[in-house]
Amino acid sequence: MKKVFIILLVLPLLSFTLHKYYVALTEIEYREDTQSVQMIMNVFMDDIELAINKDYNTNLQIASKNQLSNIDDYFYKYLQQHFKVIINDQETSYKFIGKEYDGDIIYFYLEIENIETPTSIEIQNDILIEHFPDQQNLVKATVNKKRKSLFLSSSNGKGLLKF
Amino acid sequence: MRKYSTLLFSVLFVSASLFAQETSKKEHQQGHTDQNKFRQLKDVLATPNDQRTASGAPGHAYTQQKVDYVMNLHLDEAANKLYGEEDITYHNNSRDHLEYLWLQLDQNVRAPDSKSPLAESKKASAFQTPTKFVAENMDKPKDFGFKIEAVKYADGRDLPHTINRTMMRINLPKPLAPGEIFKFKIKWNYLINNSVEDGGRSGFELFPDGNKNYTIAQFFPRLCVYDNVEGWQNMQFWGRSEWALEFGDYDVKITVPEDHILDATGVLQNEKDVLTKEQRNRWAKARKSFKNPVFIVSQKEAEENEKRGTKKTKTWHFKANQVRDFAFASSRKYIWDAMAVNINGKTVMAVSLYPKEGNPLWEEHSTRVVANTLEEYSKMTFDYPYPKAISVHAKRQGMEYPMISFNYGRPNPDGTYSDRVKNGMIGVITHEIGHNFFPMIVNSDERQWTWMDEGLNSFVEILAELDYDPNFNTGNLPKDIVRYMSLDQSKLSPIMSQGDYVHNFGPNAYTKPAAGLYMLRQTIMGPELFDYAFRTYSKRWMFKHPTPADFFRTMEDASGMDLDWFWRGWFYTTDYTDIGIKEVKPLYVTNKPNEETKKLQAQYPSYFAKLGKLVYLTTDKEDADKSEVAAYINSLPKEKKANLKELPQYIYEVEFEKPGGLVMPIIVEITYADGTKERQTFPAQIWKKNEHQVFRVFTSSKEIKSFVVDPDLETADIDTSNNSWPKQTTNKFDAFKNKAKN
Repeated sequence: MKKVFIILLVLPLLSFTLHKYYVALTEIEYREDTQSVQMIMNVFMDDIELAINKDYNTNLQIASKNQLSNIDDYFYKYLQQHFKVIINDQETSYKFIGKEYDGDIIYFYLEIENIETPTSIEIQNDILIEHFPDQQNLVKATVNKKRKSLFLSSSNGKGLLKF
Repeated sequence: MRKYSTLLFSVLFVSASLFAQETSKKEHQQGHTDQNKFRQLKDVLATPNDQRTASGAPGHAYTQQKVDYVMNLHLDEAANKLYGEEDITYHNNSRDHLEYLWLQLDQNVRAPDSKSPLAESKKASAFQTPTKFVAENMDKPKDFGFKIEAVKYADGRDLPHTINRTMMRINLPKPLAPGEIFKFKIKWNYLINNSVEDGGRSGFELFPDGNKNYTIAQFFPRLCVYDNVEGWQNMQFWGRSEWALEFGDYDVKITVPEDHILDATGVLQNEKDVLTKEQRNRWAKARKSFKNPVFIVSQKEAEENEKRGTKKTKTWHFKANQVRDFAFASSRKYIWDAMAVNINGKTVMAVSLYPKEGNPLWEEHSTRVVANTLEEYSKMTFDYPYPKAISVHAKRQGMEYPMISFNYGRPNPDGTYSDRVKNGMIGVITHEIGHNFFPMIVNSDERQWTWMDEGLNSFVEILAELDYDPNFNTGNLPKDIVRYMSLDQSKLSPIMSQGDYVHNFGPNAYTKPAAGLYMLRQTIMGPELFDYAFRTYSKRWMFKHPTPADFFRTMEDASGMDLDWFWRGWFYTTDYTDIGIKEVKPLYVTNKPNEETKKLQAQYPSYFAKLGKLVYLTTDKEDADKSEVAAYINSLPKEKKANLKELPQYIYEVEFEKPGGLVMPIIVEITYADGTKERQTFPAQIWKKNEHQVFRVFTSSKEIKSFVVDPDLETADIDTSNNSWPKQTTNKFDAFKNKAKN
């Protein structure tokens, strides 16, 4: 237990190449042709593994030979708890299309179907905040060629984008 | 014979430049200073002088100080304390009289009265583990920090001094004249921190069986740098920004428990006293082993040794010349291996020290990675001049000293490890060994400019890692810095910032400069010009103290490329790259003027009469008619005809836009209807007169299906949605979804 918090103390004092920053980016695009909202979220593998291991008392072993076979269930559960999308004042549910590993980053592909004309998108995002208070969650959304962004952090976990 | 003018762009170009446009009445505008992105850095860089030239080299009057240390150290394992005595010889090679000397007392950053914790903004935590709650609110502070027992002249009299937290001033009774030497002594001790629990770049790790691995550094009061840039670099050590240190010769005796295995900066002077005959034989073998590491202490021997424990001691004696610091590692748990590396005819030793907990990963990779790093960095800079480089296994550490570094990378207790752990280890070892070059030898001021060593090192690290494993995910490429550069501006600082107040320190001081240099090498200058200039900089400032201006100036001076636009944008601002295609107009040769041209012809009949028959372009495919221009070409003399390229069948006018602040080259990939591709690159200077909008015309005999700007993500473009024509209809999401279905 103690070890979790030690990482936060130790990391800032060293001279190595480990990522020393906590930023996750979610790119959202509305597709008129399929009437769906496509979302790609990228997070650092180490951070989300730590968060999920702690929250659900498990050991994901991401990207190793012993990676849990139902790891996607854990990802989906964690995302649903910490990332909510409300379109036109209605809470939506998104499908977990899949995930991709790229070095020390995970990309999550999520999709909301049957959206006709999104005029407002509210994002509630506190991914990783509980375990990494310095986490910044950046959200960039494109609807009908209009692009807007949100910068969410521990002091501000939700924002509204109007299109 | 009527002349046929072949002014293909006459319609658009002529109207803009030759004919005065009617201007509407404008309000009075404010004037401005030169804000062009291509203005030279004269307004920002220090004026060159006789110590640092305009070409970026040390000047004829360049000087630097020298500080020699003779030390006796004693490690008290039971109490976790280090006791030391040092005789310091300070050479004032400057032309200035010095009223005082400044030394650094880094251990004081964790002293009970340290101001470092008080300088952090802290909120209450809504929830905590009980251990953390007690540690934060109830634990009494440990007695860390230097206990200075004595500061004396060489003859034993007390020397007046003043301590200002992590800095100590020696108050010289009479100024030290240019060329003079000052000798003095300091006696001190300090409580060593548990680096895993208390944090820090040095300390010890405690194992369940009671054994400790000591990775000792920042352990002695040492001189600050005095130069003509900062005077004394005595900015406090708050914990983040690292060190500015002088070169000198070290003579160090370290007394540790008799069963410890120890290695340090420098050359071991008393092998016969501290190594067994068997170990000395193995060293002799290792010095000739260029293909594989040789065990000096095997795992079996280390496992036996760690069971021992003793009250007896042994003293290891090291000497190191022309180093800026000293560190050592000592433990009875260490496995020790080494191999020889050929650096341009000279043999350098690559060494690793690790407990059994580092295996099987460490015996397979550590020493080999050290060797690879020395080879690759030497190619990019200069032949590694020191006799050895050591990689010491230490939990959650990554830190560099001359000839020795502390690195993480521990497998699971059962010996298994993920690719992430392995690649993390390879990365950190490469990085920390690489630091021998920057800043241990190209000795920049880390307190002020973190990027000069971290950024340059992280850049060369990319090349070294890709050499060790071409598929290595370096994480330092231009595409990897896009996320950081897209952040809210309140979280961004320019690279040219002092590190203590920067958010997102890692990407700011490590990744962004590394990615920028990679871009400079691969995309802007090309490896040949870049490597020559980079090597010139490294050689000029080897064993000296460079500043950013020296680097910026050298890279230009040695390559013949104006880079001020690049340094200014990438290093001095938080601007980002966003270049795209606004519009593409397919055009066709025709024999009829379009509406706009007809209007001009009516307005300026005599001008057009002089031009004669013209070639017109139109956006209407139906009006395409090449017959007249073809006839003209046919009428040309035979030699001229033979020398012409093909008559273009397709003409495209492309308008580029630049929503981002940085100017960058425009790399365009053209895809033809037959599937073939071609690249054209326009230098960054294309933006010199208009940094928002530029046009280019592309002609070809084949139809062009698409234009893509920066297809290989070389310029850290933060938004590629405007990079393609036609605009992409399928995107990354669809590509993934389709892949997932199959």
